[in-house]
Formats: sequence, structure tokens, C-alpha cells
Amino acid sequence: MSDDDQGAVQIEVESDIAAARRVVREVATSIGFGVTETARIVTAASELGRNVYKYASKGTMHWRTLRNGEISGVELRFEDHGPGIADLDEAFQEGHSTGGGLGMGLPGAKRLMDEMEIRTSNGEGTTVTVRKWRQH
Amino acid sequence: MSDDISVLRVRDVLLVTMPADPDDATVSALQTRTLDAMEQHDVKGLILDLSRVEILDSYFARTVAETAKMVTLMGGETFIAGMRPSVAITATELGVTLGATRTVLNVNAALDAVPRLSQKKRAGR
Ligand SMILES: Nc1ncnc2c1ncn2[C@@H]1O[C@H](COP(=O)(O)OP(=O)(O)O)[C@@H](O)[C@H]1O
Ligand SMILES: [Mg+2]
Repeated sequence: MSDDDQGAVQIEVESDIAAARRVVREVATSIGFGVTETARIVTAASELGRNVYKYASKGTMHWRTLRNGEISGVELRFEDHGPGIADLDEAFQEGHSTGGGLGMGLPGAKRLMDEMEIRTSNGEGTTVTVRKWRQH
Repeated sequence: MSDDISVLRVRDVLLVTMPADPDDATVSALQTRTLDAMEQHDVKGLILDLSRVEILDSYFARTVAETAKMVTLMGGETFIAGMRPSVAITATELGVTLGATRTVLNVNAALDAVPRLSQKKRAGR
């Protein structure tokens, strides 16, 4: 696998969440992540992909492989042009949900991954980027 | 295909087996098919076989917890069988629980845990 392997999955219908998970599983496995690390990455992708579908109705998951010297990793970027998140602190509170969910998606995904960045603006959309590095 | 839920009646319990990576429609079918089958067969409990499952996100976890709650209301007990360590670890880190369920190693252990129910029935025959 080359350093700049990348791709994208459109999230437009409910089953696209599972399709995104399958792609992420394949990418994580090919990089050499173990079973539990892969489960963490796929679970985070499921939570963030569902948020795109649920709150923005559609968007895209971009994925790419990373290399930093000897360390390899994966980056997932979930982009939507939905309503944005009005209060980020609130959104990251465990149990807080405006959609009748468990409210564990954002805080949980943050725990499961090594890095998370989020950009959101009212009415313009949300981009959540997460990364996981492979421990040797 | 192993992409679907299988629902079987074993002794007095319902054995529901989930596929490796169920989409949302399959996850919600878990609830409806379990409750339908429990009504139809008058079973005493639910064994949810998660041995194939490779991912359990908050939507899946919530559906399992809700299903277990309904099974309890119907007078039954729910056993979670065969959860993989990687899945259990990840669900814990995500911060989700499976509600009123008992976790057992595998389906056989779950069946062993319910003879009480079967014996009660046999004794009554
Ligand atoms: N992509 C998004 N666009 C708009 N709002 C979002 C998005 N992702 C998350 N949110 C908001 O953040 C809240 C918390 O999200 P999350 O932790 O995944 O919990 P849940 O999805 O169960 O509500 C959501 O209820 C929603 O209000
Ligand atoms: Mg969510």
C-alpha cells in the first residue's frame, strides 16, 4: 500500500453507514491494525457516519492512510453541509442528544480514536476529522 | 448468506443470532422479530448470540437494551452469548451498556443457565 492511499464514501441512505464501516474495516486491516484497534476505528466511523446521515441527511466520509516516519495510521474525515452544531461543549457531553440517541457518539468516538478535530458553523455544516496511529 | 438474523426456538428459549456487521434495518429487525417470536412461541427467555458480531455501536447497543427491557416486561430473561473481547472492550470505551442482560461465554452456557425454566415446565407436564 502506498502512503497516499485515499478514497471517499457518500453517505446518503441509511445503508451507507454500514458501507462506510466496511470500507474503514478494509483500510484499517490493510494498514495492519489489530482486531481491537480495528473495532475501535470502525465503531467511531459508525457513530460519525450516523451523525452525518441523521443530522445533516447526507455527506461524505473521506479516508486516507497516514505515514509519519515509521508510524502508520488512518485518517477519516466526515463532511456535511447540514445545520452545524450550535453548542459543541453540549454536544460532547455524554448523554446529550437532540435526536433521541444515547448521546455517546461524539464523546465515544473521541475516546476510541487518538485525535479528533471538529469544525462547525451554523447553517454551513460540520467536518469531523479523526486519526488513529498504529502502535508498533 | 450470513448477513441476516436467524431466529430459532431451542427448548423454552429463543435463540437469535446476529450477523457480523448488521446495518440499521437489520438491527431494528432484531427487536421486532424477537418480540413477534416471543409472543408466538410463549418462550421464557432470549439468548442473543453475538459471537459473529464485529462491531457494536450506540444504535445497536440501545436496540439490544430496549429489546431486553421488553423481554423482561414479557416475563423473560435475556442472555448475551459469545460477545468477542474486542467488541466488549470497544463498547465499554464507547460508553454503552446492554441494559438488563446477563452475559455468558457462549450459547451452551446460556442454555445451561436456563434449565430452571425448562424443569419448571417439565415438572408441570
Ligand atoms: N454532523 C452533525 N451535524 C449537526 N449536529 C450534529 C452532528 N453530529 C452531532 N450533532 C449534534 O451533537 C449531538 C450529540 O451527538 P452524539 O454524541 O453522536 O449523540 P446522538 O447522535 O446519540 O445524539 C447530537 O444530538 C446533535 O445535536
Ligand atoms: Mg450520534
